[in-house]
Amino acid sequence: MREVLLKTEGLSKSFSGRGTLQHVLKNIDLELYRGDFTVIMGASGAGKSTLLYALSGMDTPSLGRITFGDRVISELDSDALAVFRRRACGFVFQQVYLIEGMSVMDNILAAGLLVNRDRKALVRRAGELLRAVDIPEEAWKKFPSQLSGGEAQRVGIVRGLINSPQILFADEPTGALNSQTGLDVLDTITSFNRQGQSVVMVTHDMRSARRGNRILYLKDGAVLGECDLGKYVPGDRERHEKLSAFLKEMGW
Amino acid sequence: MGKCFLIARANLRRGKGQTAAIVALILMGAAMLNLWLMLSMDYKRNFDRCHQELNAGHVTLVLNGRSEELSGFIDDILKTDEQVTDYSIEDALCMVGSFAYNQGEVNTELLILEKEAALNRSVERMEILEEGDVASGVYLPMLYGTDGNLAPGRQVMVTIGGHEMRYDICGFLNSAMAGSHNCVMSAILLTVDCYRELEESGYAPASTLVSVRIRDKDESEAFEAELKNRVSSRYPDIRTVSNSYILVTTSRYISQMICSGIVSAMAFFVTLIALVVIASNVTHYIQENMESLGALKAVGYTGGQIVGALLLQFVGVALLTALAGTGISYMLFPGVNRMMIAQTGIPYKVHFLPGPFVLTLCAVGGTVALAVWLSSRRIYRIEPITALRQGIRTHSFKRNPVPLDTARAPLHLALAMKTTLSGMKQNITVCVTMLAICLVVVFAGLMVENVIVDMEPFIQLIVGETADSCINVNVGSEEEFRRLMEENACVEKAYMYNSVNVTCGEGEGVILLATVSEDFSEVNNQNVCFEGRFPRYENEVAVGAKFAREQGLKIGDEVRMTASGEAVYLICGFTQISNNLGKDCLLTREGYERIGTLENVSYYINVAEGTDIEAFHRETAEKIGSGANAYINVNSVVEGSASVYVSLMAIIVAAVLLLGAAITVFVLYLLVRTLLDARKRDYGIMKALGYTTGQLVLQTAAGFMPTVILSVAAGLCLCSWIINPLTAVFLSGIGIVKCTFTVPAGLIAASGVGLAAFTFGTACLLSLRIRKIVPVNLLAGE
Repeated sequence: MREVLLKTEGLSKSFSGRGTLQHVLKNIDLELYRGDFTVIMGASGAGKSTLLYALSGMDTPSLGRITFGDRVISELDSDALAVFRRRACGFVFQQVYLIEGMSVMDNILAAGLLVNRDRKALVRRAGELLRAVDIPEEAWKKFPSQLSGGEAQRVGIVRGLINSPQILFADEPTGALNSQTGLDVLDTITSFNRQGQSVVMVTHDMRSARRGNRILYLKDGAVLGECDLGKYVPGDRERHEKLSAFLKEMGW
Repeated sequence: MGKCFLIARANLRRGKGQTAAIVALILMGAAMLNLWLMLSMDYKRNFDRCHQELNAGHVTLVLNGRSEELSGFIDDILKTDEQVTDYSIEDALCMVGSFAYNQGEVNTELLILEKEAALNRSVERMEILEEGDVASGVYLPMLYGTDGNLAPGRQVMVTIGGHEMRYDICGFLNSAMAGSHNCVMSAILLTVDCYRELEESGYAPASTLVSVRIRDKDESEAFEAELKNRVSSRYPDIRTVSNSYILVTTSRYISQMICSGIVSAMAFFVTLIALVVIASNVTHYIQENMESLGALKAVGYTGGQIVGALLLQFVGVALLTALAGTGISYMLFPGVNRMMIAQTGIPYKVHFLPGPFVLTLCAVGGTVALAVWLSSRRIYRIEPITALRQGIRTHSFKRNPVPLDTARAPLHLALAMKTTLSGMKQNITVCVTMLAICLVVVFAGLMVENVIVDMEPFIQLIVGETADSCINVNVGSEEEFRRLMEENACVEKAYMYNSVNVTCGEGEGVILLATVSEDFSEVNNQNVCFEGRFPRYENEVAVGAKFAREQGLKIGDEVRMTASGEAVYLICGFTQISNNLGKDCLLTREGYERIGTLENVSYYINVAEGTDIEAFHRETAEKIGSGANAYINVNSVVEGSASVYVSLMAIIVAAVLLLGAAITVFVLYLLVRTLLDARKRDYGIMKALGYTTGQLVLQTAAGFMPTVILSVAAGLCLCSWIINPLTAVFLSGIGIVKCTFTVPAGLIAASGVGLAAFTFGTACLLSLRIRKIVPVNLLAGE
């Protein structure tokens, strides 16, 4: 039996504007499991990112309940959510969002020191992670604007993983990268998942989605269907066809 | 112009908050600037208007004697003197007197005139400003009506020559040259019946009042000296009391001078802070809008047009605000005027003054234009394509202040330090603001310690010598008086401290108020002689430092002194006493007796604690009888005169502290707002990573603190060091050249801690806007 890491019950999110109420997420019941690489797919406007923000405690639902382990996070205030995010979640954004005025190492430690006060141990771990994602030591003191897009995103991944989060949320991590750089970033995330890191990734790119073992397809704010692809194996044709069929079925 | 207007309007719409804070700073700066200009350009000129309206004299001389021969002698002098344009010689009564004023009493030479005669004098006319229904009684100078205790219909007890006279107050008068105890003499008018009664009583000697108008009012002091010399050479036994235009115009405007000095300093600092903030705002605008500026250049706007738009935006706002600021200064002016009148005693009607108004607008508009132009010149060099590509980076990649991997400080402190070290413009603004506020704090501390809580240092500086009692005795009764004082157990110390006029220098010379004592080591205030030493020998004199500077005199120089005779003295020290606006000197008794004879002598007396001064005076009077001429309760007199300055200072201190707090809040608002705008994205990222609002608020506020703490520490030390010389500069007009006020280190240090805490608290409150930064908005691309 797989361990449930995150669970939603009747999750809904609505936005009001110009006198109308727009329902972006509609009554979603969902379970995410430890160790999974869950991919959320869907067309633009389906509510993928909204679901990711709600699951990660970045935003609060309008209705429903989100439980992380045995803790109901949907009832937390913004400061408690911040503490939850720093301890339990890691983030990788499409636009990377490194802090411009800080060096590579500072960007990572600014997240790490929030949780771990052992500076030496943290610097050591940051170094290991940076080496693991092929960021050479001479780049550690560089500023974000001095990095290539791929390097910056890999630094973003290290920052997301520095606190050994229970779950890594990735929002279109390859969306702003070219093809080869995107592949490198996906390889990095996949390799961490292989080491047991739970990952939830939003994408509308099939090549990225292939890395997941579980695909959720969102349409009009509801989970239309899901597909279990099993562990990622590079070049596995059968897996690729299964995903294609699922997406075709979903109307992709 | 139209294009510039469009850009300026768009900028204003985007930066409403910043504009509002700049408006607040300029509003305060312009209000104070206009107030200062009004005080310095017109307020003192009001004395000339009053002087002109009343056809007042430039020299007033009162002679304790009345005869046709005396009048004829003076008439002959004035008739033939080419300097004299007009004069008037009238009968009067003149005697040292006192009455209750300001919880104390005023003790001065009372120039007593018959009302109708005084109102109809050809020169030095007096006017009635307020009148009740009382038909018989006294009219007092309007200054004494400002404390609210004396009013028409009430009674006043006036002690004249030791005799108490009770009068009904008929009203208040205005006199240019004798309207305040600061003029050496205070005029009081009596209705004809009261005047006759007093004249017949003989309590106040029949006197001759001479008022003279001369061609050049700047020569009034020299003319006064010359006239007194000529009169005293012919009538050596006649006591004279005199003043000149120069003395009166300065002494009646001491509060105006102090207030004007403080307002000018505050106006300068607020305007400076506003300019630094504007310059910082323009620089920030260029950094934040590099792409937009590139786009504007790409579509054909020239650098000049963009700079023109910024000039239009800031100068337009500054001029409109300065206009409102001048309006505010007119709202404040009546209150300031009331404070001033309590010291000047001259009515002033607040009216529109075009000169200060135009100067304020020009100064504000001009300095703002200069600040904007200097800080926006970079726009000329922006290449559109580089700017569009964000090729112009504002961050310096050369250094990474406080790297987190090696920093020893806790995370939030380290991040705050990063903010501090990477924001030099912000630090400069904070530094300039804190230095200005430190000056305010130190000034306030100095005034609280030396004027408001304990006025002794202020009294010692301004009044000179103080004791518990002053008794003036005839020389013939001196021995008996001394014996009485020695026998009286209540008397701790009695020493001679007598003031007489002498003339210093060759030719006409300058009249100095000479303080004569047998032994200056006995006097209570040993700080009067601040350089060199008190005179010990008969050929030594200590002169006022201000006078010495004006005359180029040094210690060791010789000066000729004249009273009824003349002699040469060696300058042994410099003094500072503001009683005669720096025209003072100290002589030993033997020294004075080389040139003059003392008819009566004043003794200052220290009595044991708890002694009732009035009872002591009554007891002495019973024993010595007519041997004593006047009894003065010095503490009461000092309290009466000084309480005006104490209240004035308390109001000024409260006002400058409030203003300082307001400036701190506005500057911090601008800095925090600019910082939050610039770092909105960073704050969003940090919130997404798990930083709480509280942590970011503390971090932001703490980012200001290193600069605040360093600036406050340095500012307080620097200001504590310069505050006494600076105060001496403000008070130089009244003869003070060295100020030795105690700088209250503890109070100032505590204020510094308070200032830092206030700044931190305010920055925290202003940073609460971070609450509104929601990470999800950042991720959604908002």
